[in-house]
Amino acid sequence: MKEKRINRQLLTMSKEYPQANFTWILTLLISLVFLLNSFSFRAGEIKPYVLALFGAYFITALLQLFIAWRIKRDILLYGDIQRGTRRLGYIQLFSLVTGNVFTAAFSLHLINERKTPEYTFAVYMALTQLFVIAISAFNVFKPYVTDSFPMAMLVLLLVLVFQVAVLIIVATTMREGQLPKWLGLIAIFTALTALTGNLFALLLGISLWMKVRSTESSRIAKWDATWGKITRNTMAVFGMFFIILMLAISVVSRYTFDYDLAVENDYANILQAPSLVYPFGTDNFGRDVFSRIIFGARISLLVGFASTVIPAVIGGCLGGIAGYYSNRTDNWIMRLLDVLYAIPGILLAIAIIAAFGANTVNLIIALSLGSIPTYARTMRANVLMVSNYDFVDSARALGASDFSIIFKQIIPNSLAPMIVKATLTIGGAVIATSSLSYLGLGVEPHIPEWGNILRVGSTYLESNSYLAIFPGLAIILLVLSFNFLGDGLRDALDPRLD
Amino acid sequence: MGKKLLALTLALVVVLAGCVKTKTDVSKEAETDSKGNGPSEKVQIELLGTSSGEEDMNIVRDQLIKNGFDVKLNIQPDYGSFKAQREAGNFDIALSSWTTVTGNPDYAVRSLFKSDGDNSNIQDEEVDKLIEKASTETPDEYKKTYKELEQRIVGEKAYIAPLYISYKAQGINKDVLNPDTVRLAKSRAIAWETIDFNDAAKRTTDPLVTQQAIGSLTSLDPIKGNDGSINTLNTNIYVRLVNLTDDDQVVSDGSLSYNYAIADGNSEYYFLLRDDIHFAKVEDGKAVDTGERVGAEDALFSLNRAKDKDSVPDHRTYSLHESMEKVEIVNDLSALDNAKQSGGEGSIREALEQGLETKIEELVEDKTKADNSSGKYQVIKVTTKEPFPQVLNYLAHQSAGIVSKKQVESINTYDVASFNPDKDIAYGDQRTVTEGTTYNNHLYASGPYILVTKNDYQAEFVKNPAYHAGSEFEPKIEQVTVRFIEDPDSALSALRNGEIHLFNGIPETKYDLVENDDKLVLQKNDSNAVAYLLFNNNSDRAVAKSENLRKAVLYSINQEEFLNFYQGNKKKAYSTVSPLVDTGNELTADAAKVKEFLTNYQAE
Repeated sequence: MKEKRINRQLLTMSKEYPQANFTWILTLLISLVFLLNSFSFRAGEIKPYVLALFGAYFITALLQLFIAWRIKRDILLYGDIQRGTRRLGYIQLFSLVTGNVFTAAFSLHLINERKTPEYTFAVYMALTQLFVIAISAFNVFKPYVTDSFPMAMLVLLLVLVFQVAVLIIVATTMREGQLPKWLGLIAIFTALTALTGNLFALLLGISLWMKVRSTESSRIAKWDATWGKITRNTMAVFGMFFIILMLAISVVSRYTFDYDLAVENDYANILQAPSLVYPFGTDNFGRDVFSRIIFGARISLLVGFASTVIPAVIGGCLGGIAGYYSNRTDNWIMRLLDVLYAIPGILLAIAIIAAFGANTVNLIIALSLGSIPTYARTMRANVLMVSNYDFVDSARALGASDFSIIFKQIIPNSLAPMIVKATLTIGGAVIATSSLSYLGLGVEPHIPEWGNILRVGSTYLESNSYLAIFPGLAIILLVLSFNFLGDGLRDALDPRLD
Repeated sequence: MGKKLLALTLALVVVLAGCVKTKTDVSKEAETDSKGNGPSEKVQIELLGTSSGEEDMNIVRDQLIKNGFDVKLNIQPDYGSFKAQREAGNFDIALSSWTTVTGNPDYAVRSLFKSDGDNSNIQDEEVDKLIEKASTETPDEYKKTYKELEQRIVGEKAYIAPLYISYKAQGINKDVLNPDTVRLAKSRAIAWETIDFNDAAKRTTDPLVTQQAIGSLTSLDPIKGNDGSINTLNTNIYVRLVNLTDDDQVVSDGSLSYNYAIADGNSEYYFLLRDDIHFAKVEDGKAVDTGERVGAEDALFSLNRAKDKDSVPDHRTYSLHESMEKVEIVNDLSALDNAKQSGGEGSIREALEQGLETKIEELVEDKTKADNSSGKYQVIKVTTKEPFPQVLNYLAHQSAGIVSKKQVESINTYDVASFNPDKDIAYGDQRTVTEGTTYNNHLYASGPYILVTKNDYQAEFVKNPAYHAGSEFEPKIEQVTVRFIEDPDSALSALRNGEIHLFNGIPETKYDLVENDDKLVLQKNDSNAVAYLLFNNNSDRAVAKSENLRKAVLYSINQEEFLNFYQGNKKKAYSTVSPLVDTGNELTADAAKVKEFLTNYQAE
């Protein structure tokens, strides 16, 4: 009786079981979306490809349901997941063919019993790489590919092979306590593959390098604890996965996608429905919406990051100075920022764009200015708290200058809330960029930017709805991803939640 | 291991490269020699337009870039800021459009291309000569002259680069309106008086709801405006001496005249006036009959101020009426008997009396004495400087609308030279009809409807109770509401959800939406609207100095692609005259010519 109660508790604490449930529900929902789309109500006929996709997802969902049931039974009966159940993960891994990242990630986690952050990084690193290749591979259906395409694809494939090898090495060696020295070399190479934009590789490289070289066990423990918390949060990891995927695609698209397909008009192919050649269809000028969305990710991410980093740095410095110094400095800075705060951000942005013209740099400046005060407020509050701590007093007693106290002691210790805030507001910046483009105030209309694409789509909502759905989905997914990641980061970095 | 890997790698590259075509393969196959030997340095062209013309701008940009130009876009949010940029000269080419609302070719060229034209940036004596020559010619003769003129403006000098001719399309809610009563004319603005509901009982209870894009009205004085904000409104507020039919024939139907006649020599024009139209004014939100007849004195006054540049400040339409030498009231019946009709038998009097119930007994000078039923008529005579039959088209234009001499003179008491728009209120100022403290409606309407009040969202009109009362021209519907909806897609939504009954200007790419909607009908007609690129001919810029550069841009324009984009709902154009005169000129895109002209330009 008692054992059963303990097992029940184990079930709620288990990492796999809620994930398994989450995964089958999500897969089932996606399969239902496919089912709805497999029948064309207007033409009254069935689309075989979409129906096949539905079948694949539905079977995956059933298998996942079975796995979830097995996990529950195993834990309730034996207290842990049995080998046979874990082996099912290998079968479920085949769902990767259908592009189901949720079941794939789950099965990779199920297969490995001991989860280290490195293993998670390695899994998502390989998955990201695979998705980048798969997305780029759609270009072979086009009439032609860009000149660098074959070479780029080859490099990507080689990188994938290497990363899968690293994944296997990490899965097998991380169980041992002391890591072999040659792992350091692998860590460097892995980090180098992050040049394709795959930041999971960078994280894995840093993590491995630290564990091989570093002797500071407290630092390693802190690193492990933080990333452990983030990686346990499924949604945060998926959010991070999507963001890094978009980043990698933005970097790689330079070599695998043809920019002309996204900007040059092609009057012979106006308003084509989605097909293999044009996965998301073509717009009213015959431009490939798929390519446009891929290239649009670049601008959205660039403007999103830049218009978050700039106010975070400026606002952070101002807030830091205001919080550290006396009343008068504090008042001067904060009251001036309050004036800025009183102007609605998007109106300020519109005014700046209207006055100085629409281009990417002005867009970044316009969006940055308005959010400086909120960062300054966050930073100031942290600094007020941190500057009362003992280590600040001791630094002062040791004769450190104000400058070094602020930038060496206080700011590093007040960064966590800033990071969380930045991640959460980056989504807002992406939306603001798209809104301005949607209103015709962002970048020039022919430049592929998600807001621009959506604007064209909005006038064809009835006749060619895919023109609005795909860029809309892209914006929703990216913003959601940032929000989920921000939530995960907050949970991991907030000391009060310990 | 290493060798195997290398072999595998090589095999992969071969397979990958084998199954896909790269861009250079394709361009080699297409044998375009555009790369390599083109002009080394790209010429930058600044393209100015409004955000509503964004799609045209994108097509032009794409075509110029494909021909080796570098294009800088200058997109202005509305027409006002576009005009400011254009007047400041901040462009190389500006996306422009022109609609010949009078339906005659002279109007399509005079103000745009003549050295002293009010919309012209061209100084070319040759062009001036051709315009003057064509204006005195008959349709058969002027075809050749306009062809020459077009070739001079476009082919030889490339002052403009034509894009396309638009169609006119309007959507009608057939559940509410009777589509047969709604006119769609090629040139003239829509006439509201013919429009009727399916259910005649609604005439007095429900308003006709229609739409226009611009809500800021230039002026309700007909001679002080000539743009999309007032053309339809003033057309329905004021009556004219003649009207245009749907296919641009000059007629007296629905006008102030029974008949008109052209005298031998083509420079004297006679109009026999009706006596059944009174001015209406607004009192307590309702239109009342002022009892004042619209007569020859008012027509005389209106036409004289129309052709006099200094009659009002901001006179926007005098160039249309410059051709009139003299306007007078005829009081001698024998003058009508003695004058012969142009190109035909019989006297002017016979022409004017055609179809009249009571023949002309006496001509009167005072409008209060006119009484058609007892044979007392008024006649207006217009004399032109040169023989100029197209003057009739100008008299059918809204700027020739008849205003009340008494009322306008009592309002316009300011001094024209020292007019201060902040202090002085001119007749037709939109502030006097805008809701609020400035409201003081002083309009006297001679047409079928009168504007009662307006705000930023809509304008309310009511029927003139003393307009052709009892005749077939009497307005059917009592009230008309004009909604100001700027975005055509929003206006289309408003039509589809029943908010408006009539929408003139359905976007070309949305025709199928209207056709597939059960409660709507789509009416389509030719129009005189031409879109073209205007070069900055009057500036220090390279496009002003170099004919070669302008021609390089001209031959980059591919009208086929415009037709494709608009799904065939546009026609090819050569100049603003194209919709009116079939000259046979055509512009064909030619990449080789572009390269040649660009090389010449760079050698300059």
